[in-house]
This record gives sequence, structure tokens and C-alpha cells, in this order.
Amino acid sequence: MKVLVIEDEQGLRENITSYLNVDGNICESSASLDGAIEKLSLYQYDCVLLDIGLPDGDGFAVLDYLKNESKSEAVLIISARNSLDDKLKGLNIGADDYLTKPFHLAELKARLMAVYRRKVLNSNNKLLFNEISIDIMGRTFFVNDTPVILTRKEYDIMLYFISNKGRIISKSAIAEHLWGDEMDMYDSYDFIYTHIKNLRKKLLDAGCADYLKSIYGMGYKFSA
Amino acid sequence: MKLSAHYTKTSVYISLSVLFIGAIIYYFAINFIADSQLDRGLQQQLTEAEEYLRTGQAPQQYDLDRDHAVFTQTMQQTLKKRFFDTVYFNPKTQKAESGRAVEELCTFNNVHYIVRITISREGTKYLIEVITIITLALLAILVFTLFLTNRYLLDGLWKPFYGTLREIKEFNIADVPRFSGQPSKVEEFNELNSAINEMSLRVKDDYLSLKEFTENASHEMMTPLAVVTTKLDTLIQDETLGPEQLSQITDIYASINKSTRLNQALILLAKLENKVITDVEVIVLESAIESKAMQFQELLQAKNLSLSQQLTHKTFEASKYLIDILLNNFFSNAIRHNYEGGTIEVMLSEKELCFKNTGTPDDLAQQHIFERFKKGKESQGMGLGLTLVKNICQLYRLGISYSHVNGMHIFTVKFPH
Repeated sequence: MKVLVIEDEQGLRENITSYLNVDGNICESSASLDGAIEKLSLYQYDCVLLDIGLPDGDGFAVLDYLKNESKSEAVLIISARNSLDDKLKGLNIGADDYLTKPFHLAELKARLMAVYRRKVLNSNNKLLFNEISIDIMGRTFFVNDTPVILTRKEYDIMLYFISNKGRIISKSAIAEHLWGDEMDMYDSYDFIYTHIKNLRKKLLDAGCADYLKSIYGMGYKFSA
Repeated sequence: MKLSAHYTKTSVYISLSVLFIGAIIYYFAINFIADSQLDRGLQQQLTEAEEYLRTGQAPQQYDLDRDHAVFTQTMQQTLKKRFFDTVYFNPKTQKAESGRAVEELCTFNNVHYIVRITISREGTKYLIEVITIITLALLAILVFTLFLTNRYLLDGLWKPFYGTLREIKEFNIADVPRFSGQPSKVEEFNELNSAINEMSLRVKDDYLSLKEFTENASHEMMTPLAVVTTKLDTLIQDETLGPEQLSQITDIYASINKSTRLNQALILLAKLENKVITDVEVIVLESAIESKAMQFQELLQAKNLSLSQQLTHKTFEASKYLIDILLNNFFSNAIRHNYEGGTIEVMLSEKELCFKNTGTPDDLAQQHIFERFKKGKESQGMGLGLTLVKNICQLYRLGISYSHVNGMHIFTVKFPH
């Protein structure tokens, strides 16, 4: 996956590119609107990560540019503006998803993967990880080609882990992913533990290796 | 009552009363003039009668130019000359007619006579009748004209005003088109239009700058938080970190979370208080509540709470986002402030939405619970949830109240009629 990160905040830009620059992804970045449009005109990307509030203009101009040039890059907007107007405007003029700052890098990666699969791979693919395969279109989950019935939340967690494989994911990132930022219940992470316990049991019962590692006091890591 | 109706009423009353008083004055004036005219005639007759007596002829009844002179012998020594209204029999028309008469004492051969001369008032009566008819006709025409002019002319005159009024009613701060107003020949209306126009521009300006401010504030506060979050996300990848460091990082995560939430709540409050949120759609409340209950299912199970719902069909026009926040707060409060194995009851009827939950045995401080940063001692929240609830309710004119009955904490939202 080739990604262009358009973000003016240096710290954030570096974190995002370093987090994305694994699993063979190629990640480039631009701190300004002009630079971004120049890059977009020269190279082909799979996904664009777009901050709306840029120093030299509104990020919406990138969407307009992509539309006028009939380019098919998937666009994920990241913005500190939580206004509904901006969300609707962004989605209406061609963005594929909208993520509000602050966010977890794991969430960003999962959303980016989802947008990429939906737009670039047309969802017709199967997600493979050793003996695990996931049919994104049918939302079905297989271990060694045998279907395993997962609940909706378990399926979401699984997809989240695979999108962020090899990374330690904090409990707060998992909670935010599963229940959205509207839920004001972070004082208790017990229910995450319950979900993970059930999920791990289902995987082991289906003959899957134990890829889920619990990191004491912090969260979980999904790796081979 | 409309202004033109008020105006018509007042002008009709005033003109009627002025005309009525005028008619009365008129009547008396004409009567007085006619009487003095008649009296002058009578005086002349009287002089003629006295001259007639002086010629030495015996007093007798005579009829002079339809005037009746009657001599009556009397023992009275003095009689003051007086003019008066009377009724007499007119032999010509064979009818009793009203007349004007004069009486005086005359002496003939040392005999006193009362001479009374009467003349007809029919002429005056006729005059007054004609004048009355003309006055009445004028009155009717005047009232009719007043009605017509008020109705058609004044209504036309007020038309720009009603146009302006309609525009004010339809004025929506978030809409792009500016207030225009209806041009009018009336100076006051034009002034009104320009004043409203100026006001609307100012309001729009304020609205936009506030909107910009909240968004910029949000941006400035959230960006550093985003940097910290992503730095932490990168930091925790380091597997050499010990449990001590990880636990500190967890605390930092939690603080960032709280700070984010606080920012969002404060910005939302600012938006609510300035009515910046204007998107409206029809929300089917019972299904919104059901899906919210689904969303909180794990939390309900984790605390072993039983949820009972009694929902009837109810739609409400509001921002989906705000209704979501409202329900979120009700559910999360009912769960958070509950004990293991407690109950939650949600009731929705045409008139009200009611959340009841078991919890602490004490009554919450009723007057303070909707205030900012007021929260229970054990609450992990930031004390803005119920303030948000109250402000959302105020925005949509919903009544919100809290009560504590039989150990149940009850929040009731009353829908407007």
C-alpha cells in the first residue's frame, strides 16, 4: 500500500509515517497543501491521509483536485475539527472516511486498511494470516478453511488485530475502536477482557495457534 | 386583532362620537336660530295687535296670515311677556300642529286681555328633518368610506410589514441567504428593514466567528493531544519497557482520554449555548433507544443489570448527534451509578421519556445536579454530562427534571405539546 500523509504537525506526521512504514507499506508525507498537490500530480498513491486544517489552505482543496483529475485515491480525513458540517462536507465531496483527532495509531491503521480494501481492492479479497482467512465481503471467518462463528464485536477485534499485527495495542485503543468515541465508560476495561477471552478460546478450539499475547498492564499484541 | 382592525375600530368610534355630539349641537343651534327667527315674527305680530287695539276696535279673534291671535279676558293685573312652544289646532289642515306662541297682557277700555299669538313651526320641523337626513346620510357614507379605506388602503400599506415579519420568522442563522426585507414607500418600514438587516448581519457575523472560534479552539487543543497519543502508541511498542513504565503510560492514556472528553464537552456546551447546532431530522425515538441499549449491552451484562423497556412510538425533530449524546448520558449514568444486579427502567410515551435506575440510597442534590462540574463523590465522570443533557433539553424546549422515589433515581424528559 502506498500512502501519502498530508499533515502539518511535524510530531504527528513522523509518528504516522513510522507506524505505517511497516509490512511493506510505502509512506510519503507532505506538510503543506501545495506540496501535497504536487506529489499527487507526479505519483500514484493508494491512499491519502488528509488533515483538513493546513497552513496554506483548506484540505478540502485536495479532494477537489482529486475529483477534477479523476484520480481514484482513497482518502481518509483526519481533523481536529469535530464539527458535523465538516464531516458531512468531507464525506460528500469524496472522502472515504473521517477520523477525529486525537486518535490511536492502531485505529488510524485499521481505518486506512478498511478504506483501502473497500476502494482499491473492491472488497473482493480475502484477508490471510497463516491459517486464518477472513472473507471481508461476507464478514466470515475461517481457521484452516473451517468457518468459525464470531460475534460482531469479536469479528471487529479480529480485523483490528490483523490490521495492526505485530503491534502492541493499548486497551484504551481497543475500547475506542469497539465502542466509538461517544462512549464515556473507559473507567472499566473488564468487558474488553471478556471479549478477548472468548475470542481466544474460539480460536484455540478451532485449532488456531495462539497469536494473541497479553501485555501486562497495557493491552494486547497479535503476532505470529 | 390586527393593527388595521384596531385602526378601523378606533377611527369609526371617534368619527361616530364626533358626529353624534356634532348632531346634538347642530340640532340645538338650529332650533335656537329658528326660534329666535319665529320670535322676531311673533314680536312683530304682537306690535301689530297692539296697534290694532289702539285703533279702538274691540279685541276679537282674527286670523292674520295663518297666524292665530287669541284675546282672552282676564282678571290678572300683570303678565310678563313670554315666548313658548305649544300645540295648536290648525283649522286649515284640520290637525294639531306644533307652534311657537307669544303671550302678553293688553288693556282695552280698562279690561285686561291676554293676547296670545301662535305661528306654525312646521317649516322649522321640516328643515330639521331634512338636515337630520342629510347628516345621517353623510354619517353612513363616512363610516363606509372609512371601512373601505382601512380595509384596502391600509392593508396594502401594511403589506411590506407583514412581508418583513414573515422573513424574520423564517430567518435561520445557518442559512446563507441574507435578510432582504420588502421595499416600501413608507419610511418607517424601510428603516425597520435596514435595522433588521443590520442586526441579522451582526448576528451572522457573531455566529460565524463563534463557529470559527470553537473549531479553532478544538483544533488547537486536540492537535497536541493527538501528538501525545500517537507518541505513546509508538512508545509502547518498545518491549523492553517494564510494568512500572507501562502502568504510568496507561495513566497518561487515561488522562488524555479525560482531557479529550472534557474538551469535546466544553466545545459542545459552547455550541449549544450559542445555538450553533442547527441540523434537524426526524428521529424515531424508540428505535434510537433500542439501538443505544444494544450498544451498552456489554456494560449492562458486566454489572449484571436488568434493563426493562416500555416504549411507544414517538418521533421527534432534532439533531441526531445531540439526541445520541442525550441517550448516551442517560444510559451511561444509569449504568455507572448503579450497583451490581440493579435495575434500569426506560419508559417512552407520547408525553415523556423516563429513565429510572437503582443506585445510591441518597437523594442527589436536586438543585445542583444539572450544574457544571457538579458530581457525586464516587463519580468517575467529569460532571458535564447532565449539564449537556440540560442544555440539549433547553435547546429543544424539553422539560427535564430529577426525582428520587422509592430508592429509584428518576430522570424525566417532558416533550413539548
